[in-house]
Amino acid sequence: MLKIDNLNISINNKILIENLNLQINKGEIHVLMGRNGIGKSSLAKTIMGNQNYQVTGHIYFNNEDITNLSIYERSKRGIYTISQNPVEIEGVTNAEMLRTALSDKNESPINILKFNKELEEICQKLDLDKSFIHREINVGCSGGEKKKIELMHMWMLKPSFLILDEIDSGLDVDAIKLVANSIKEYLNKYQPGILIITHSNVLINTFDNYFVHLLDDKKLLKSGKKELATEILNKGFKEITSKLDEHLL
Amino acid sequence: MNKILVSDIINLSNEDYILNIKNKDAIINIEGNVKLYLINELINKINFNLKDNSNLVIYLFNNNIKNKTIFNINQNNKTKLNLNISIINNDNCELIVNNNLNGNNNESIIKSRLVSNKKFNKLIINAYIDKNTLNNIALEDLKGINNGGVVHIEPNIICLSNEVSANHLTTIGNFSKESVNYLMSKGLNQDLAKQIMLKGFIYSNMDEYIKNWEVNNA
Repeated sequence: MLKIDNLNISINNKILIENLNLQINKGEIHVLMGRNGIGKSSLAKTIMGNQNYQVTGHIYFNNEDITNLSIYERSKRGIYTISQNPVEIEGVTNAEMLRTALSDKNESPINILKFNKELEEICQKLDLDKSFIHREINVGCSGGEKKKIELMHMWMLKPSFLILDEIDSGLDVDAIKLVANSIKEYLNKYQPGILIITHSNVLINTFDNYFVHLLDDKKLLKSGKKELATEILNKGFKEITSKLDEHLL
Repeated sequence: MNKILVSDIINLSNEDYILNIKNKDAIINIEGNVKLYLINELINKINFNLKDNSNLVIYLFNNNIKNKTIFNINQNNKTKLNLNISIINNDNCELIVNNNLNGNNNESIIKSRLVSNKKFNKLIINAYIDKNTLNNIALEDLKGINNGGVVHIEPNIICLSNEVSANHLTTIGNFSKESVNYLMSKGLNQDLAKQIMLKGFIYSNMDEYIKNWEVNNA
């Protein structure tokens, strides 16, 4: 599904990521952990196609080289991001944006009745008031409401690859549980590849199996299964990365 | 909705009107609660005179002003003005609003959403609060987007009285790159993303009647 091959990312001549390789297959969850400012979100934005970064190497999606494609082209191929603080778009409602996006995707006008019914069902599932459908995107919403709105978009657009960039930050336990259950349901239904960036285990504990990668010093220092996340959260980044340094010496 | 042909001087009271300006210069006297729609009208100068205790709401929508337009709006006592300006322009244009608060207990709220697709678009809002007046409120909320052209806004509030509440806010900018990227990440191409944001920006200053008009005549 997603294959990252010798990827180098820099911004304003500062190298953030060097020679990174990663493969995420359909239905797999990969968790990326690392200290603040180490480049996790930059990697997420680069996969999505943000043009602020200088990139060498390759990103393949379903065997197609998407390294030079725009955000729009990547989105059309099924890549979708939920970030920790989604932007607010004044004057544009959720319904209007989704109608426009779906019409463009399907290359035909959408069935409004079916569209409204589906949206209302999704709102109910997410415990989100139906009025949000016709409200401006994320404007004046709390952190929890914004995440639910992003999930509403996800369920409507049905992407095949999810990037979840610290979506659990700033949410209370109940909100994280709701978000996690919605993603789990989506995973069971559509089997997307998922890349999760997180600093806690509340979200990832919802899932039975996942791979964990520790990003430090511009590269993936260590990869493993869910036990690695527990180790990182128990010991902290400093202890683990220093032990790895000693081992390498 | 009443459609009115304005040729010279006209008195309007307690209704909603769509104005068709025949002479480019006009005088409109307002009494009671009046709502006016000025849609794609070619205007040189209009003087609005609000009688005491009157409320005037104006929706001005224009998708290409080519000339210089002047609104003189005179408020005496216990009047309310709500002026909503929405303009998408491809040519040079200049709109000047002179809002005179001559008496007491008046309220004036002027909002603009101006998009310049080409050339130079100038908006000057002058609110004058006369000396020896009491309890007037003047608010200006003026926003513009440089969408290939240049927007110039002057938000002036001239207060000659101490007993006034006045506030002005002006922002001019381009489309937020972050917002365009966000919409592109949802599956809208760059042109569609900008188009939908532009529509949202202009619509935020319109009521349902004018939105429907715009949809049917776009």
